[in-house]
Amino acid sequence: MEMQPAMKTNGTHQPGHCEISRRDFLKLSATAGGAALLGSIPFVRQVLAKGGEEYSYLLSLPENQIYTACLQCNTGCPIKVKLVEGVAAKIDGNPYSPWTMMPHIAYSTPIADAAIIEGAICPKGQSGLQTVYDPYRIVSVLKRKPGSARGAGQWITVPFDQAIEEIVDGGDLFGEGIVPGLKESYALTDSELAKEMAAEAKKIVDESDPGKKSSLVAGFKRSFSTHLDTLIDPDHPDLGPKNNQVAFVWGRLKDGRSHFIKRWINSGFGSINAHGHTTVCQGSLYFTGKAMSEKYIDGKWSGGDKFYWQGDVQNSEFVIFVGASPFEGNYGPPYRARGITNNQVDHGMKMVVVDPRFSKTAAKAWKWLPIKPGTEAALALGLMRWIFDNQRYDAGYLAAANKAAATSKGGPTWTEASWLVKLDEHGAPGKFLRASEIGLREKESRPLSTDAEKTYEFDYFVSLVDGEPVPVDPYAEDPSLAVDGDLFVDRVRLGDFTVKSGLQIIADSAREHSLEEWAEICGLNPKDLEEVALEFTRHGKKAVADIHRGVSQHTNGFYNVLSWYTLNALIGNYDWKGGLSKLSTYKADGSPKGQPFNINKTDGTQAPYGTSIIRHGEKYDKSTLFLRDGYPAKRNWYPLSSDIYQEIVPSIGDAYPYAIKAMFLYMGSPAYSLPAGNTNIPILSDPKRLPLLIAIDAFIGETSMYADYIFPDTMFLERWEFGGSHPSIPFKVQPVRNPAIAPLVPEVTVYGQNTPMSLEAVLLGLAEALDLKGFGPAGFGEYGGLTHPDDLYLKMVADLAYGEKEDGSDAVPDADEEEMRIFVEGRRNLPKAVFDLDRWQRNAGTLWPKVVTVLNRGGRFEAFEKGYLEEKLGHPYGTLLNIYQEKTYDTKSAMTGEHLTAYAKYFPGPYSVTGEILNDEKDGFDLRMITYREITQTKSRTASNYWLLAVQPENFVLINAADANSRGLENDDRVKIISPTNLEGAWDLGNGNKIPMVGKIKTTQGIRPGVIAFSLGFGHWSYGGVPVEINGMTVPGDDRRVKGIHANAAMRVDPYLGNTCLVDPVGGSAVFYDTQVRLERVS
Amino acid sequence: MNIKRFLYGLAGLALLIGAWGLYDRFVFGHANTNYGSYVVWGLWVAMYLFFAGVAAGSFMISTLDFLFRIPIFKGTGRIALWTALVSLAAGLTSIGLDLGHMERIWKVFLEGNPSSVMFQMVWGYTLFGLLMLICLFLAIRMPESRLLRVLMGIGLVLSLFVSGAVGALLGVQAARPFWHVGLFPVQFPVFSLASGTAVMLSVLAFFGPKGDPNRRQQFWVLGILSVALVLVKLYFIWADYSVSIYGNVPQNVNAVREVLFGPYWWAFWILQLLIGSLIPVVVLSQKKLVQRPMLIGWMGVCLLIGYAVARGLIIFPALTIPEIENLANAFGGPHLTFEYFPSLVEWAVTIGTIGMATMGVLVGGDFLPLYLQSHKKGKV
Amino acid sequence: MKKRKTEDLSRRDFLKITGAAVSFLGALELAPEKVLASADTSLETRPLKFDVSPEDDQILRMQSDLRRALAKPVEERRWVMVIDLRKCLGCHACTIACVVENKLPPGVVYRPVIIEELGTYPNVAMRFLPRPCMQCDEPPCVPVCPVNATYKDENGVVVIDYDQCIGCRYCVTACPYGARTFDFGDLYTDETAESEGIIFGKPSASAYERSASYEYGETRQRNDHTSSPIGNVRKCHFCLHRLKEGMLPACTTTCIGRATYFGDANDQDSLVADLIASPNVMRLKEELGTQPRVYYLT
Ligand SMILES: Nc1nc2c(c(=O)[nH]1)N[C@H]1C(S)=C(S)[C@@H](COP(=O)(O)OP(=O)(O)OC[C@H]3O[C@@H](n4cnc5c(=O)[nH]c(N)nc54)[C@H](O)[C@@H]3O)O[C@H]1N2
Ligand SMILES: Nc1nc2c(c(=O)[nH]1)N[C@H]1C(S)=C(S)[C@@H](COP(=O)(O)OP(=O)(O)OC[C@H]3O[C@@H](n4cnc5c(=O)[nH]c(N)nc54)[C@H](O)[C@@H]3O)O[C@H]1N2
Ligand code: SF4
Ligand code: SF4
Ligand code: SF4
Ligand code: SF4
Ligand code: SF4
Ligand SMILES: [Mo]
Repeated sequence: MEMQPAMKTNGTHQPGHCEISRRDFLKLSATAGGAALLGSIPFVRQVLAKGGEEYSYLLSLPENQIYTACLQCNTGCPIKVKLVEGVAAKIDGNPYSPWTMMPHIAYSTPIADAAIIEGAICPKGQSGLQTVYDPYRIVSVLKRKPGSARGAGQWITVPFDQAIEEIVDGGDLFGEGIVPGLKESYALTDSELAKEMAAEAKKIVDESDPGKKSSLVAGFKRSFSTHLDTLIDPDHPDLGPKNNQVAFVWGRLKDGRSHFIKRWINSGFGSINAHGHTTVCQGSLYFTGKAMSEKYIDGKWSGGDKFYWQGDVQNSEFVIFVGASPFEGNYGPPYRARGITNNQVDHGMKMVVVDPRFSKTAAKAWKWLPIKPGTEAALALGLMRWIFDNQRYDAGYLAAANKAAATSKGGPTWTEASWLVKLDEHGAPGKFLRASEIGLREKESRPLSTDAEKTYEFDYFVSLVDGEPVPVDPYAEDPSLAVDGDLFVDRVRLGDFTVKSGLQIIADSAREHSLEEWAEICGLNPKDLEEVALEFTRHGKKAVADIHRGVSQHTNGFYNVLSWYTLNALIGNYDWKGGLSKLSTYKADGSPKGQPFNINKTDGTQAPYGTSIIRHGEKYDKSTLFLRDGYPAKRNWYPLSSDIYQEIVPSIGDAYPYAIKAMFLYMGSPAYSLPAGNTNIPILSDPKRLPLLIAIDAFIGETSMYADYIFPDTMFLERWEFGGSHPSIPFKVQPVRNPAIAPLVPEVTVYGQNTPMSLEAVLLGLAEALDLKGFGPAGFGEYGGLTHPDDLYLKMVADLAYGEKEDGSDAVPDADEEEMRIFVEGRRNLPKAVFDLDRWQRNAGTLWPKVVTVLNRGGRFEAFEKGYLEEKLGHPYGTLLNIYQEKTYDTKSAMTGEHLTAYAKYFPGPYSVTGEILNDEKDGFDLRMITYREITQTKSRTASNYWLLAVQPENFVLINAADANSRGLENDDRVKIISPTNLEGAWDLGNGNKIPMVGKIKTTQGIRPGVIAFSLGFGHWSYGGVPVEINGMTVPGDDRRVKGIHANAAMRVDPYLGNTCLVDPVGGSAVFYDTQVRLERVS
Repeated sequence: MNIKRFLYGLAGLALLIGAWGLYDRFVFGHANTNYGSYVVWGLWVAMYLFFAGVAAGSFMISTLDFLFRIPIFKGTGRIALWTALVSLAAGLTSIGLDLGHMERIWKVFLEGNPSSVMFQMVWGYTLFGLLMLICLFLAIRMPESRLLRVLMGIGLVLSLFVSGAVGALLGVQAARPFWHVGLFPVQFPVFSLASGTAVMLSVLAFFGPKGDPNRRQQFWVLGILSVALVLVKLYFIWADYSVSIYGNVPQNVNAVREVLFGPYWWAFWILQLLIGSLIPVVVLSQKKLVQRPMLIGWMGVCLLIGYAVARGLIIFPALTIPEIENLANAFGGPHLTFEYFPSLVEWAVTIGTIGMATMGVLVGGDFLPLYLQSHKKGKV
Repeated sequence: MKKRKTEDLSRRDFLKITGAAVSFLGALELAPEKVLASADTSLETRPLKFDVSPEDDQILRMQSDLRRALAKPVEERRWVMVIDLRKCLGCHACTIACVVENKLPPGVVYRPVIIEELGTYPNVAMRFLPRPCMQCDEPPCVPVCPVNATYKDENGVVVIDYDQCIGCRYCVTACPYGARTFDFGDLYTDETAESEGIIFGKPSASAYERSASYEYGETRQRNDHTSSPIGNVRKCHFCLHRLKEGMLPACTTTCIGRATYFGDANDQDSLVADLIASPNVMRLKEELGTQPRVYYLT
């Protein structure tokens, strides 16, 4: 193929083309601390100066395409960005990836040939240009104007270096008194000492006897008497060092950047407080998944994966979507919709949608079941009841008590269905029976998995086989050890114990109500339940219930999820084509043997320790705070989950378990995205409770508007990330987000290198100022320095290119000369701070030609054929599936001190964190409010996408026409949403600024009566939609960006916590769908 | 107050407002207009139809003098011709500004598509305009020439053709059932004659030579003609609307409903019916009242307002009905709405064109020998 | 590559029978030649360099069908679009892809997706109807154009010559499908803040929407309020500029429901030929006799 004449091949950019006025230029360089001029502008002008030249369709040339990954939503579809002289002109799907084309094209396809092939992406993906080329992007460091309050919208620009210095050193930064700098919290810097302290603190926590615990604390204080000033509270050494008083909080984060952040905050700064947003997202989906995947290792349940399952629906014959929206949200429409529609129309797949709202998916469904919100577990149990009563479960699968038994049946997974569980005096199930307890088999000494020199005592589990107890080793592979246990064992006496089988316990739970009663609880028709249950059990492994946020984000979320996953287990569809699937990604961090760069390696740095501000992964009854406070704890503890977003700011507000001095907020907006996110605002606004708040944000967002400093960031077309995958995708993949356009932000100098102002620049700048280990010229130890983002990212790509086989046998092929040429030419418009061939090559080392192969394709994607092994998935979960969870049982509520329930069960809700049932209906809050996604919007990235706003300029308050009628409401009437914890129906933004929560009515037949819904992504109150003052000049807002309603502030506040939304106390979910509201008409 | 001076002032003001409209139109193109891709044709097209109708109508009236030589209309021919020319100019201005690329209008002449009614109309009006110029020349220089009569004869046919073409422009559109009715093209010549009559009522009443012995007669005849034409017009409307409603084509029913009870119900009931029809009919059918020139003049204006509104109400309703249900909700944006009310710029330009026409009539009257000899230089 | 656009037969006939034709004919002969890539019959295409099997993604299959079609003489191809309403999920990806591909300004849309809710709770249905230009074989929009700016080209696609169009919008009123919209010269960033240097700002941010579109194989930028295609009527053109590259229309490749099909109906082996032979095929407002080239499966 020939190069078109119109294309410039040698063009690094020409600042000479820049038409920006001299005055602007000076202003800009002054404010940006002498940084280089906005990289893009020259190209931009250049493009506009062109035209009228001889025609050539530049978008179809490989030299004008860069493959990267979308981030308009978290699906992260691989894309190709088509460039005209460096300006992104069009975005399309990357056909090498299964996200956008199925089967995806062979990885070996030369990119020159792929240049005219494109996959499908959703409308948000198509609109990506408007997110990046958003006029309201910030391009200099903004500092809260001294003398103005947080959130007042008054800013000054400061040079990058000055901002870094102020944050590190502290001082009277805002004319309101001394602000502690990071230096002050960087107290414990001796990594050896930290290790010793951590070990002693662990001993304190592990000790259960209160008396001994106290004396261990005293001992601790003696041993470290000269270092007590490094501790937050010497009386509670388990809280950890002062370093923990700096927190790094993020919303949307992907690998690469996550490695950068954790390297900085954990091993660099030594703080335990690095928390993401999982629980606002689909928390209990992940943490039920974790509980279900806990492994019995070294005599303990551990190693559960924070993950979840989705249906391989493109191959299913029958699918139940519960609280999942594959056509409008989810992970994600480009991947899932194609599979569903083709399967449905071409292969007759049948679909049921369980959703109070008639979603677009419901529009294609065989049945729409408009369930009462919060009764999802009841529906699952109702279906299970029918399945038990009619013996439609897969008995063979469930009988398999261990790996050997499962393998003999071809099933990759097995469960505890037949394992025996001990009952307490009230008949309540507790722990599993062990063989030694009934003298069935003695404990065995087995080597530790972590240290083969040491041993532990392995005690067999027990199943009945034809009524006789048999020892069970869950992971035994020897066919002679296969155990196929009896499924239903009801109150059998064995030795001193009364036992039930796991499945019996579940069946009993399902039989708490009749099918009719279950249907009644859900507000559904029993006939539908029967039909669905029958259909679900008619397709072998090719039926699946696929669940998402509508199931997990309830106060009973954990048990909703567990119930639905248990239902799936009844037909044993895990790891089967058309059944449940888990994600599979190529590692890119050097952890597999053979990969050249172990980027997790942090020689000489410090392992953080202590209790996190959100108290995750630890048991309250083990902490020294329990000795002090007893039950209930001041706030809940979350031993089974992590990244509990809604806990972060309120815990800072309550200084529980300790105060935080500085918080970094990266690409998250808790005030906007959390239920009752308004409760975060007074805390974030208060320098006394949070002395320093630093945001890294591309805009002045709904939460970053409260920050003391906002650092601009590179956006998704300008930066690196390793996007990972989703459970619905059975192929092993790893998309690589890599710079496709020149950053619009200026460059800064850190460690003597130019790099675009960005998250990485901030982290490097702070590391340089604090002299953190793990960064700088020797930061990477044997691999050299970490002074530029490329030092990390290129190494990761090299790892990825190498593959996961130690001998390198699954490395990608080298790029040939032509691919090399296209690679380099494709990046001709990237500035040197971003693309420096030498620097890239140096970092990748000998793997460079392979790195080019990967980057040319925007990541690594395994061949289609590898996704499936005949009727099974190519990358199975393949192990024990905990449908009865001993570890969960063994965990006590920090509120009540009671054991948690270990199996699928319906808990009527909603309830408070202490378990008090809420009944706001009786107080006149007559409508249940839910929320959902439109395909055109995400939270804080698409409000600027004017193309999408043309399709839908604002959202509505959806209400059933009958409900509207009875309230005298009509389309376009404006109503205010009032809830028990927001009687004013307004967002209180502080500084006397309140915005009423008012939306337009849209009547529909497509929603359950008694339920109203609003969609996500509208009702912004910052984000370029309102005027702000910068350097004394007013930047006018564009009110197209703040249309519609965002009713999160109406979502119910937990009555015990007072400053936090309702929560799922087990799975940690922030609760979105359990608020009763009423509507008030406004004129 | 001297009506003429008053009108001079008004027209001057209107031209100023129009100048601002023109400025905006030339700098910002069509960006600040309110017609769009659904209501494609707005006020300017309506005004074009209106002015074109007035032009054809006034020409028809001028034939009473030059072709049919009806005694009582003797001496009215020139001003009628002039009024027709001025109206045509105003109409062409209006439609010209409405074009996306008026600089390409020559293409209609050199690269046109004769089968397009639009083409036929442009050609027709161009010929018509040229013919009127010649006629006016002849009427002033050789009022008695045979050629004038021949040309007036041709012109009469042409005027029927062009005003019919306007009707056909809309009527041939199968996509718009509201326009796609059999009698549609036929209505337009009648409308033209009606508006020509009305404008002549005003012109003669306001500026006609006071001493003309035929004056009263003229008023009476033109008045009665107007009354008759109004009634015919009302009959057409009634027929259209009732056929639309009985035909029960949803698009048409909606269109009619839109006119009668939509957001601009007042335009129909108050402007078109009350002011544009009822009052003039009552006044003009009373011989006593017809003797008062000022009143007659203003009745002419009322009628014109009614006809102008009628033009609008023919165009917009058909366009405010989506071709496909819910189309407007599928993709929004400026100019993508089925609701229409003219923008400031549109009003400004329209006021300008009206000012231009008025000014034309005034200036022509003052500087050309348009009225009867004895009054050529007279100030009325 | 410069080619005269062909006149459609009806016009030629008309000229023959009209007495006054002579002068028009003369004028037409003098008309400046137009360069319209759409009229390029020798659509040279870049090859798809691998085999496509029936199990492949529809997008690939259609692209290989496309290649076959492009190898044939233009008059033997019959481009059609098929939209399977059972697969369309109303996602609007096609709408936006088209807007971005063709750099459509505010108010201009070639392919809206119309959504309708039907029924009563709990028996509800929703219908999604994507509406590109139907590329009618008897297009009511064509004969009304006073300057022949819009016509059916050799590809059977109803195109608009932006340099010929006077912007009278007569064709808009003539189209029964609402498929034509007028370019008023707006920009999406029009209402945003300038504040360049403080924030990114409008002047630079608007570059992506002012830079050239490739419609009809021409590059046209939007730097004022008056240059074509501003002031012109615009419509879907089956992405002729992409077909030429061997690429499917933008709405087709980005259809996440795989509801949109494109190809040569004259090719018996093509996917579209298969689809339009199904019994559940229909066309919009067929009763008007417009003979749309867009088929819907229901
Ligand atoms: N009503 C309602 N609320 C919801 C949901 C719902 O369904 N309904 N869904 C919830 C779910 S699932 C989630 S995951 C959460 C997500 O909530 P969060 O994780 O808090 O994410 P966002 O609200 O998207 O916040 C994004 C922030 O990042 C900024 N930003 C955008 N792009 C960039 C960038 O490139 N770099 C940097 N540094 N910053 C950037 C934005 O300006 C904004 O301030 O929202 C939840 N909130
Ligand atoms: N367009 C778009 N897509 C996205 C995102 C986005 O922001 N925009 N974000 C991505 C992210 S971060 C996430 S977490 C996923 C989330 O993906 P999903 O969870 O699939 O999407 P949602 O729309 O949040 O919720 C799913 C469905 O639950 C329904 N629902 C609401 N309340 C209830 C209830 O009480 N019970 C039941 N059964 N259903 C209920 C809603 O009507 C909705 O149809 O989407 C991802 N994809
Ligand atoms: S689903 Fe759409 S917005 Fe989300 S990553 Fe994919 S293309 Fe981008
Ligand atoms: S759909 Fe409309 S614009 Fe397209 S060819 Fe048919 S009539 Fe013309
Ligand atoms: S708007 Fe253009 S294409 Fe349409 S009829 Fe007028 S001149 Fe022809
Ligand atoms: S074929 Fe091209 S122009 Fe037509 S709707 Fe599709 S993308 Fe738009
Ligand atoms: S892209 Fe496909 S599925 Fe989506 S609206 Fe368009 S035609 Fe329908
Ligand atoms: Mo999420």
